[in-house]
Amino acid sequence: MIDRTTPRDRFRGLGSWGLLGAIGGLFGFVTGLPHGEGVITVIAGVLLGGWMQRQRSRGRLRSLAPIPVLVALGATAVASPLGLLPELLAGASGLAVLVWLADDPGRPVGGVARARLTVGIPALALGIAWSSALLLPSSSAPIGVAAGLLVFVLVTVAFLIGWPSTFDREEPSAS
Amino acid sequence: MSDGGKAQKELLRWRPRAYLLLGTAGVLFIVAVAGRTPVPVFLAIPLLLAAPAAALGGPRATPRLTGQRIAEGSGPEVRVQGWVRAAERVDPNDLFVDVPCPPGMHEAAAPEFERSSEEVRFHLAWRAREPTIVVAPTPSVVWRDSAGLVERRARLELPDLVVERYPPELLRIGAVRLRRTMVLPGETLSRQVGPSGEFYSIRDATPDDPPRRINWVASARSGRLLANEYQVDRTGDVLLLLDTRTTSLGRAIDERLLSISRAAAAGIAQSFLFTKARVGLGVFGEFLTPVPLGSGRAQHHRIRAALLAARLNPAAAPSERCAVSLSRYFPAGVTTILFSTLADDNLADLVPYLRRRGFPVIVLSPSPLPALFEGPALDPDDEALAARLTRLLRRDQIARAWREAPTIDWDDYWSLGRFVEFLRRPATRRVG
Repeated sequence: MIDRTTPRDRFRGLGSWGLLGAIGGLFGFVTGLPHGEGVITVIAGVLLGGWMQRQRSRGRLRSLAPIPVLVALGATAVASPLGLLPELLAGASGLAVLVWLADDPGRPVGGVARARLTVGIPALALGIAWSSALLLPSSSAPIGVAAGLLVFVLVTVAFLIGWPSTFDREEPSAS
Repeated sequence: MSDGGKAQKELLRWRPRAYLLLGTAGVLFIVAVAGRTPVPVFLAIPLLLAAPAAALGGPRATPRLTGQRIAEGSGPEVRVQGWVRAAERVDPNDLFVDVPCPPGMHEAAAPEFERSSEEVRFHLAWRAREPTIVVAPTPSVVWRDSAGLVERRARLELPDLVVERYPPELLRIGAVRLRRTMVLPGETLSRQVGPSGEFYSIRDATPDDPPRRINWVASARSGRLLANEYQVDRTGDVLLLLDTRTTSLGRAIDERLLSISRAAAAGIAQSFLFTKARVGLGVFGEFLTPVPLGSGRAQHHRIRAALLAARLNPAAAPSERCAVSLSRYFPAGVTTILFSTLADDNLADLVPYLRRRGFPVIVLSPSPLPALFEGPALDPDDEALAARLTRLLRRDQIARAWREAPTIDWDDYWSLGRFVEFLRRPATRRVG
């Protein structure tokens, strides 16, 4: 089988992979876990995910690439202390995951530019959430409000998944 | 190609990656509420909203696409080139084109795709296992967002592509002098004009006229390019008869041999039609499906459509029915080429019935032997013995068929040289 990979193709996706590693590593660093466990966990997950994503011949392995990244980031988020900086870095890590997924080297170039809505809308929501956390006074009451909002969001998302036609638009008739 | 105006709606589909992100987000929310820590929530927000945002960014209805494709190549090689053009709001970089290989062919090379800002171009390389005539399957096109979270099947409007591959010797078959079955004896000039034959008239040249057809003297005199027009005489009539009854060889081999016969019939029809001969077709299964004698490009399309529609028929219809039906649609005396495996006695019976009705028959019999001994099923000694016995049996079938009509055993599917040579020697052709 002829390998048609050009040198340029080999470097594709490295930028977003590096961005994910940098933001994730910083997030792991601010968790303050002993012996740099946070950084090691995230970097290991990102390296494994990136390696899986670059396996051109093994499609099944490629499709499982986000799992180690999400597991590593999720574990770090659970162990992370409270604070505005960890919250901001957690959100940025989530966005970096989306950018990394959009910059798949197995897909045509320009994936990040085409995924501007996929990244932009969550970034907007994240910005609103983080600025709310920054500005509102901290007490136990907002936790209850947040929990209620989360339940609402989960129900809304479940509805959207169950009814994909919500995103459909009526086609004008041909005549 | 077209769905008859009935708009079939293709829903948006969530891909496994979307479920993975949403599941992760759900788990992080639960952990956040249980552990009273907001950090997992901030990680979960982008994961939760990504899939709905991707859906909003894509086409909101089934994308309509247009395209074109052509088949090139010769012999077993088939090269298909085509393009798919996207309508508004669909980026060609997000389109995934899947072109399945037609039955009886395999991929000679991996498909290549080139994407531009307007269209997706594809280059396919297939290899036909044996002569074939087949409608290439319509490619399926899916729009998928660049993060791989949602997808929607597109509707592609594409003309049918018929791939025809037959032995190259058939291109030389036009030199064969066929019997005439016209009402009036003697040379009968058709009213059709063509590239060769007797001089007929002068007309304005068209861009695709070769230099040899340009009448240079007349062009110099008139000051514009003029071309010669010729009137050709019809060379004769030929009837192609396809026996689609099943045999004891089994359905798989029957299907394969019928496919080979259809390809040969398409090639023979095309070659004779090119020389302005009249060609007819009969497909006999349970009943006869005829395409009456005719000439020209329209007849080629009629015959091709009938061949593409020809399927194996398990009903064991009597051979006499075929001969009787044939005499209703075709004049007696027309040169008849019968495509039959001759594997069973009821298939071989057809030849004498046709002769009794006045059809001079030539049997082109695709041999089942190459198909029977493709993969080693026995140990080498038994395999050799079985092959020898089957060859003897086949030789006996051909010899018995020869008593009734000239029979060509077609065992090398990519060559019809023996058949063409036989047709070009009229002395031996008048057997029967």
